Amino acid sequence: MTLIEDTLTLYKREMLIFKSHLRTNIIRSAMFPIIFIFFFGSIGSSSINVNVAVVNYANNPQSLSFINSLTSSRTMSITSLTTQTDALNQLSEGKITAVIVILPSFPKMSAGNPAVDVYYSTSNFEAVQAVLPAIQQAAGSFDSNILANQRSYGNTSLRPLYGTTSSYVVFLVGGILSMTVAFGMTFGTGMSLITDRQLGNLKSFLISPISKDSIVLSKILAGATEALLYIAITLIVGSLDGVGIAMGLAGLAWIVIIGIMVAIGFAGISTILASRIGKVEVYTIVAQTIVMPLWFLSGAFFPTTSFPSFMQPIIMVDPLTYATQGIRNVMMLGYYPLAQIALDLGVMTAFMAFGIIGSILLFKSYTD
Amino acid sequence: MRNIIEINHLVKRFGNFTAVSDISFNIEAGQIYGILGPNGAGKTTTISLVLGIERPTAGKILVDGMDNMHNKAKVKQMIGFMTQETIVDSDLTAYENLEIAARLYHLEPQETRRAISTALEEAELTEFKDKPAGTFSGGMKRRLYLVKSMIHAPKVLILDEPTTGLDVHNRVQMWEHIRELNSRGVTIILTTQYLEEAEELCNKISVIDHGKIIATGTPSELKRLVSKGQILEIITTRDGAAKIAKLLQSAFRLQATVKEDKIEAYMESNPLTIFSDVLNRLMKEKLPLISISMHLPTMDDVFIKLTGSSLRDSVGENKSDRSNVMFRR
Repeated sequence: MTLIEDTLTLYKREMLIFKSHLRTNIIRSAMFPIIFIFFFGSIGSSSINVNVAVVNYANNPQSLSFINSLTSSRTMSITSLTTQTDALNQLSEGKITAVIVILPSFPKMSAGNPAVDVYYSTSNFEAVQAVLPAIQQAAGSFDSNILANQRSYGNTSLRPLYGTTSSYVVFLVGGILSMTVAFGMTFGTGMSLITDRQLGNLKSFLISPISKDSIVLSKILAGATEALLYIAITLIVGSLDGVGIAMGLAGLAWIVIIGIMVAIGFAGISTILASRIGKVEVYTIVAQTIVMPLWFLSGAFFPTTSFPSFMQPIIMVDPLTYATQGIRNVMMLGYYPLAQIALDLGVMTAFMAFGIIGSILLFKSYTD
Repeated sequence: MRNIIEINHLVKRFGNFTAVSDISFNIEAGQIYGILGPNGAGKTTTISLVLGIERPTAGKILVDGMDNMHNKAKVKQMIGFMTQETIVDSDLTAYENLEIAARLYHLEPQETRRAISTALEEAELTEFKDKPAGTFSGGMKRRLYLVKSMIHAPKVLILDEPTTGLDVHNRVQMWEHIRELNSRGVTIILTTQYLEEAEELCNKISVIDHGKIIATGTPSELKRLVSKGQILEIITTRDGAAKIAKLLQSAFRLQATVKEDKIEAYMESNPLTIFSDVLNRLMKEKLPLISISMHLPTMDDVFIKLTGSSLRDSVGENKSDRSNVMFRR
């Protein structure tokens, strides 16, 4: 019982300190999203570069005019290929984003048996979303029964998303969000432990009859609370640049959950470091060396698939990968499949547990 | 008097370095006990051991009869601590500082409110209670820190160099505070750099060097331990000084040092006899005499004699502190 009580006491102190520096904290945590979202978010805003291959098995005037109307829609650039196999190979190699197959029966077909098939890569869903409506519209102008039969095809696309879609900025916001939180923790929580030690506050806690664990727990709890501010700021900055959350309010809830999990994990990591490192300069270097690569490899700037294969194992164990992936799911796609939730939250939970348990054990051994 | 703190064969090693080497001493309830020693002698380690933030390599410490490693929470509740740095949260108000401290010592809510208002009054900070401590002057912060350290009404207060860096006025005020607390029954343990402070305040002093206690006693006991003699001090005129010094040398075989109009000489044995002889002789010779007195060696003399050094500054590991504190959230 006293553990909770002591934790809340020290949590109150952390929050009072945070409150007294609120303006600085807001400005500092807003700088990062503002620079990244407004400046780098404008990369690849052209929307014409989606490469789509067309395989025309019908070869009749109607099919040619269908292709013409696709080209004129200006949302994609069209390549003609002769066989479906060739086109699908190119799709799996990531050279193209989608394949449109016009079946021989075009344009005469019933609703249950459409005359146009669209294949796309699941890893590149965002780009496909931009062109599907155009295909639907072009096909619909011939016969309302000619509906595109959409099939996802593999997920081996290596084509980076940037440059292919108008909403790179949405893609970026997910990465910036987890980063703002992770940075906030390493330079907030860890640093505060070091300054508490240097200024003697830590000693005054240690000589009082409180549980040592409460010192660490209060720092982590305060970190999780502060993360709410960082999340809000990033989303507000994003919304100023026209970034919304595809999943709506439920998506916001997921973002907050994921953000808090990132906060707890990184608050733990930074406490582990600060338990062992007494100097701010050394801490800064070590923390940056750990956090920067984790951030970069998490796919904050471009999809993780575009990294070379030897980096993939690191990407696989980088908790930020899963956080970014989850946030992107709700912000870009608007849905968060159960399997994905289980994976992302599972990894994040393991990360949190590592942070909390590790920091408590290390802090104990340091001060004993 | 009963012993409130008993230290038995205390040893603390850090790797190969022995910071505290088999120390034993008792502190009676109600005393002001001084721990003196040069830097790096083991004072701070001894205090950390008493506070229970370091674990002894061997030996034990009993606080009010309880082993401080086994009854950590109870022992910590009985001890207050104040160091030479002023530890208050400058971002928090005076009230908040005291409130957090009270809650860390698990005071009941009602008790907390009472303790805080008493503390604010004692520190003369009642009208500034809602101002951040960072806006306070050095003296105000120091007073806030003292009442914060005492918020849980401890039986023992440990002061680690409480007046280092304070000006004369604040130092005297701090001494009064310490005496006042002591008169209320609080046992005080004090480490200090200032020998006159130890002499002024302490009932009993232990001198520590190289992790060992080399002498324990009241200030005057310590002085007598160093020598049985006394120091003769004569104030005269400038012209008289040389003549008197010459006389002391020839008639009494006293080695005199002259500083302008002041003469000092060390009387090794029978100081009282020598003193009266010197006085008679000076009167007879009609030498100019403004004052004549004798006194025990100063604590400085004791210290130098016992530790073989004045309060030296040791050069150890470089621990820069505040210059590093650039980022406070």
